[in-house]
Amino acid sequence: MSTPAISVSSIRYSYGKQLAVDGISFDVSPGEIFGFLGPNGAGKSTTIKMLTGQLIPQDGSITILGMPVLGHNRDVHKRMGVCFEEKNLYLQMSAVENLKFFAGLHGIKDPDIKGLLQQVDLWNRAKDRVSSYSKGMRQRLMMARALINDPEVLFLDEPTDGLDPVSAKAIRDIIQKRASQGAAVLLTTHDMNEADKLSDRVAFINEGKFYAIDTPEHLKLLHGKRSATVRVKQGDEITELRIPLDEDVSGEGLKQAVGSGEVLTIHTEEATLEDIFIAMTGRGLQ
Amino acid sequence: MSIRNFWTIFKKDVAVGPRSPFVLFAILLPIALTIVLQMVFGDLFAQKPRFALVDQGSSQISLLIQDIDGINVTMLSDPEELKQQVQSHDFDAGLILQPGFDQALKGGEKPVMQFYISGESYAIDRLILSVTAIDLIRTVEGSSPPVEVELVSLGRGEALPISMRLVPIIAMYAFIIAGLFVPASSLVEERERKTIQAVLVSPAKLSDLLAAKAVLGIVLTIIMTVVTLLLNGAFSHNQLDMIVVLIVAAIFWSMLGLVVGLLASNSQILFAIVKGSGALLFAPVIFYLFPDWPQWIAKMFPTFWAIDPVWQILANHATLADIILPLMVTAGMSIVLIPIVAKLGRRMLVQLASS
Repeated sequence: MSTPAISVSSIRYSYGKQLAVDGISFDVSPGEIFGFLGPNGAGKSTTIKMLTGQLIPQDGSITILGMPVLGHNRDVHKRMGVCFEEKNLYLQMSAVENLKFFAGLHGIKDPDIKGLLQQVDLWNRAKDRVSSYSKGMRQRLMMARALINDPEVLFLDEPTDGLDPVSAKAIRDIIQKRASQGAAVLLTTHDMNEADKLSDRVAFINEGKFYAIDTPEHLKLLHGKRSATVRVKQGDEITELRIPLDEDVSGEGLKQAVGSGEVLTIHTEEATLEDIFIAMTGRGLQ
Repeated sequence: MSIRNFWTIFKKDVAVGPRSPFVLFAILLPIALTIVLQMVFGDLFAQKPRFALVDQGSSQISLLIQDIDGINVTMLSDPEELKQQVQSHDFDAGLILQPGFDQALKGGEKPVMQFYISGESYAIDRLILSVTAIDLIRTVEGSSPPVEVELVSLGRGEALPISMRLVPIIAMYAFIIAGLFVPASSLVEERERKTIQAVLVSPAKLSDLLAAKAVLGIVLTIIMTVVTLLLNGAFSHNQLDMIVVLIVAAIFWSMLGLVVGLLASNSQILFAIVKGSGALLFAPVIFYLFPDWPQWIAKMFPTFWAIDPVWQILANHATLADIILPLMVTAGMSIVLIPIVAKLGRRMLVQLASS
């Protein structure tokens, strides 16, 4: 097993008396996309702030690429990329100027700005001021900025939030490409479909605690309920029959439903990550 | 602190600066103030009398007149050209000296001296030039004036013209806007737009960012105060000493700018702080306008120590040795502000992370 790119052990943080993160631990391996799922106020942002050195954990430890993170660590920050949920770009500068500036902070003398802007489909607007960009364009530039130093660890906070489907797919493709090249990706999202499609593993966080860490598939197998819905026509009546597949191991129930009349449609259903999250934590993700 | 990161942030701020209304304000306000105040009270547009001279011999007068400070003298070779240029008011007056003028004068003759006056010239300039010419002729002739002139100064001997006493106010504007407001607003803008968080998750530290903002303020302050002093004709004495004074003052103002920028979490609070403290910051320079007021009161304000060395050089032609005390006080105040900036910086990081 490879050395984890991100290793978190029992970190804890509270704002005054309010406990935000309560002793969570996890590892993310190089090349892995780790989805961080939880509703607002669950502790996702506080965890990311500790991982990116903006907050110092009050207890526990964080290691990134084998180096401890307790506040700002120049060596770690050189090798990480962060895409914030808030579009914190220099609006009075162009996309090129924004990227050149951050490349300068990373000590990169000859950054491939054209290549990056082409990846996020902004090259044709490269010299326009960011203040003239749409929300989606700004989000894509945020992604390009996070990649300017070719990071080994990527923290992405709601990277496709508010994007049109085409832009969202482009961002997802970039994330998968970076992971396939060996970057460890920690992703927070409200979008369960996105987490399901992208993440190798997901963690459910609520009230500062983890409720589960596993692959989406395994979580669905362990906690979800599969079912089939058969619509049949019996005489003039149309009936909808729901067969729980986990209980119908022999398939008799499904056979009976299919044989009970003229079959109009058959749909299989499996639990979504959101269903499982609600079942485990008792609250939704929004 | 990383020099590379400091330099990257500084370059960015310099490039973005002209796109910021605050920086434009910092550049334009002292210049606009200078023009307005000098038009009302001063002599920004007042010129020295312009005098043209054609010396067809080699008169001592042409040498003597060029040594006089308050007159712009131009030597011409053609009498016709002189007449044309005086007629077109390129000069206020012109003088043509015939060959052998000095010898004739010393020999007791009464040689012809052609003195031309421009019809459009001011009466005061005509008077100055006429009296100067007659005085020079007496000098060359070697005769003494028929009377002894005794000069009696009336009014306060040490009083300076109002245009001079306004200079500290304009310089103070440059200090406050360029030194305090520009770094503070730049910092607040980064905080409001949360770009500071993006910088702080890069290899740059807060110290790199603060140093860049401070140096931006220092450079802009020095440039703007030098421009202000030049526009007001107040940068003619002890220029090197003045530069040293401006550097020390600019450091103080920029440190103060960082303190204000770190205290204010948004633009509204920044404006409230600057407006609220404006009277305190400005108070010392009011005393230069009213020399009869008890001047010791001005010394109670910290900003007095940063502006007074400027005043001492421009008004009293002081040297660094004369103003070492206020310079040391200003430098000391800057040093005291360093731990305050560090503490407020740590507080801001916590606030940013908690927001």
